[in-house]
Amino acid sequence: MSAADPRIEADGRRDRAAGFVLLLAGAATALEARTFNVAFMTDPVGPKALPFLVAAALAAAGVRLMASPRASVPLPGSASRHRIVLAAGTFMVYGLALPWIGFFVSTTFVVAVLGGLFRGPKLGSVVAGAGLAAILWLLFVPVLSLPLPVGVLWIR
Amino acid sequence: MDSLSHLISGFGVALRPFNILLAVGGVGLGTFVGMLPGIGPINAIAILIPVTFASGMPAESALILLVGIYYGSQYGNSISTILLNVPGTASAVVTAIDGHAMTRDGRAGDALAISAVASFIGGTLSIFGLVLFAPILASWAIRFGPAEYFALMVFAFSALSSFAGGSMSRALASTGFGLWLATVGLDPNSAIPRYTFGQIQLLDGMDFVVVTIGLFAVSEVFQLLEESDAGQRAAAMSGRVAISMRDLAATGWTMVRGSLTGFLVGVLPGAGGTIASFLAYSVEERIAGSTGRFGRGDPRGVAGPESANNAAANGALIPLLTLGVPGSGTTAVLLGALLGLGVTPGPLLLEQEPDLFWGLAASMYVGNAFLLLMNLPLVGLFVRALTIPRWILIPGVSALAFIAVYAVNTSTFDLALMTIFGLVGYVMRKFDFPLAPVVLGLVLGPLMEKNLRRAIALSGGDGSVLFDSPIAIALWGLALVSLVAPIVLRRWTSDLRGVDTSELGES
Repeated sequence: MSAADPRIEADGRRDRAAGFVLLLAGAATALEARTFNVAFMTDPVGPKALPFLVAAALAAAGVRLMASPRASVPLPGSASRHRIVLAAGTFMVYGLALPWIGFFVSTTFVVAVLGGLFRGPKLGSVVAGAGLAAILWLLFVPVLSLPLPVGVLWIR
Repeated sequence: MDSLSHLISGFGVALRPFNILLAVGGVGLGTFVGMLPGIGPINAIAILIPVTFASGMPAESALILLVGIYYGSQYGNSISTILLNVPGTASAVVTAIDGHAMTRDGRAGDALAISAVASFIGGTLSIFGLVLFAPILASWAIRFGPAEYFALMVFAFSALSSFAGGSMSRALASTGFGLWLATVGLDPNSAIPRYTFGQIQLLDGMDFVVVTIGLFAVSEVFQLLEESDAGQRAAAMSGRVAISMRDLAATGWTMVRGSLTGFLVGVLPGAGGTIASFLAYSVEERIAGSTGRFGRGDPRGVAGPESANNAAANGALIPLLTLGVPGSGTTAVLLGALLGLGVTPGPLLLEQEPDLFWGLAASMYVGNAFLLLMNLPLVGLFVRALTIPRWILIPGVSALAFIAVYAVNTSTFDLALMTIFGLVGYVMRKFDFPLAPVVLGLVLGPLMEKNLRRAIALSGGDGSVLFDSPIAIALWGLALVSLVAPIVLRRWTSDLRGVDTSELGES
């Protein structure tokens, strides 16, 4: 590990940044824990002890990371980042839309989009999504009697 | 032979048709998820937990299914390791060295057969250890008070942090994050909200199923999106998968030794299959000396680690069931499942829930027998699953994970939370922070805090009670030793230091 290697220099910076964030998180945890005051103590330890312990652990880890940073895995390229953000966005939309459009439509949607992101054929992904949604519905609702939302929009 | 009569009654539970079905289904699913990239036992178990809760099946049946996935995945793991050189978990990394070398020599069938037989020997011998030692440990642990439990949990954390192999400060940060998540919600003693950010949904605390699926499954989806290849090709498997007498004679003792090593290492919290398989490999290499072809396709290089990691997986059930202390991410999820089913693991479990413990142990014999059957004549069917294209497999698993998360509280808030944890888990992977300590912290946190508060309340506010009893002092000592031991162990397995396991989860 020579100090002249530019990649390791840059990676060390990432570790120091992570350490700093951990230190801040530890401080915030401790600061918030100070407000956990109870009118009367049910036990001598109280609700603050574990949070303070956590704060100390986070801060200690942060300080050690800043003191001895090391090389870590390279970050993804912009194309990968783009796909990850798209996938996360789709999952969020799925969660929000589920009660409205119901299990079948939202599952078809999320499987189709994800299939496309994994470079599946367009039509194939949609068919796979609809097929999966149907199979999962049959498996969970009649067989396992687990309620899944039908969709408020279709009921009206 | 008290254990023997208990075990026989356990077979009465395990051989009920429904439980046989669950054991077979569990190990089949386990083989499947252990083999396929990107699912893994921890996700499969987390996904099935809400399903078992909702179905209302008895606790022993649920456990037979979930633990079946756990040990079944150890078999499946070696399939993709041997054929594709893609170990699913860190405990299979050593198997790849000689296992894949055998595949390149056109001996894939032999390697798979040796792996299946070794897994079976490791699995069954260690169940024998489980039924023998669990009652002993339980009768010993009955004297544990809250102070001892607190020290024991600190030991579990320190062991997982140091044996995981990565940097200690990163493991400490992950543990801290997990414990912080455990504090979110209403404090059970004083009923004041902690770290809820004003969200009503967070008053109940973080559900470990939501967190686990987010951190492991969703972040894995993001990770896979990063990789450009659309799928893998399974190496051509030629010939029958059957073990020859010659191979069995050459590897028999290796399997027995591997089972012993694996079991002993597995009982230690945190150590688990990874260390067990590394240790077994280097022991075999030393014993073989110049007669070995290690690294170039020696069957003993498959037999040793495969028997060891299966034995270790079963050994890890001892502290989980008799002490209530898991040593890995997957066993932490199993602990969460047990607590959710209303079962409190601990020294009293064997007496209070004999059906559960002995039924589970007996079902593991049933499961291992089926695994041998599935992995010898039927392995070709499983291998075909490796050709499922990724664009169908990963979205399908994701859809299942979403149902599981939604089913926990029938809440869409949890789905959003899951996505956030997916992003957090992805960033943690990129910064090389281990994920297993987060789940361990989240599941053990409430128990740890409860025992800390109870211990100090019982002593009237005196903190020194934590270091009072000889047992507690011994446990603190073990915690200290676990921080030093990896340095010694790493020297032992120095010839394998080049193998990087930081990217892989433990089993």
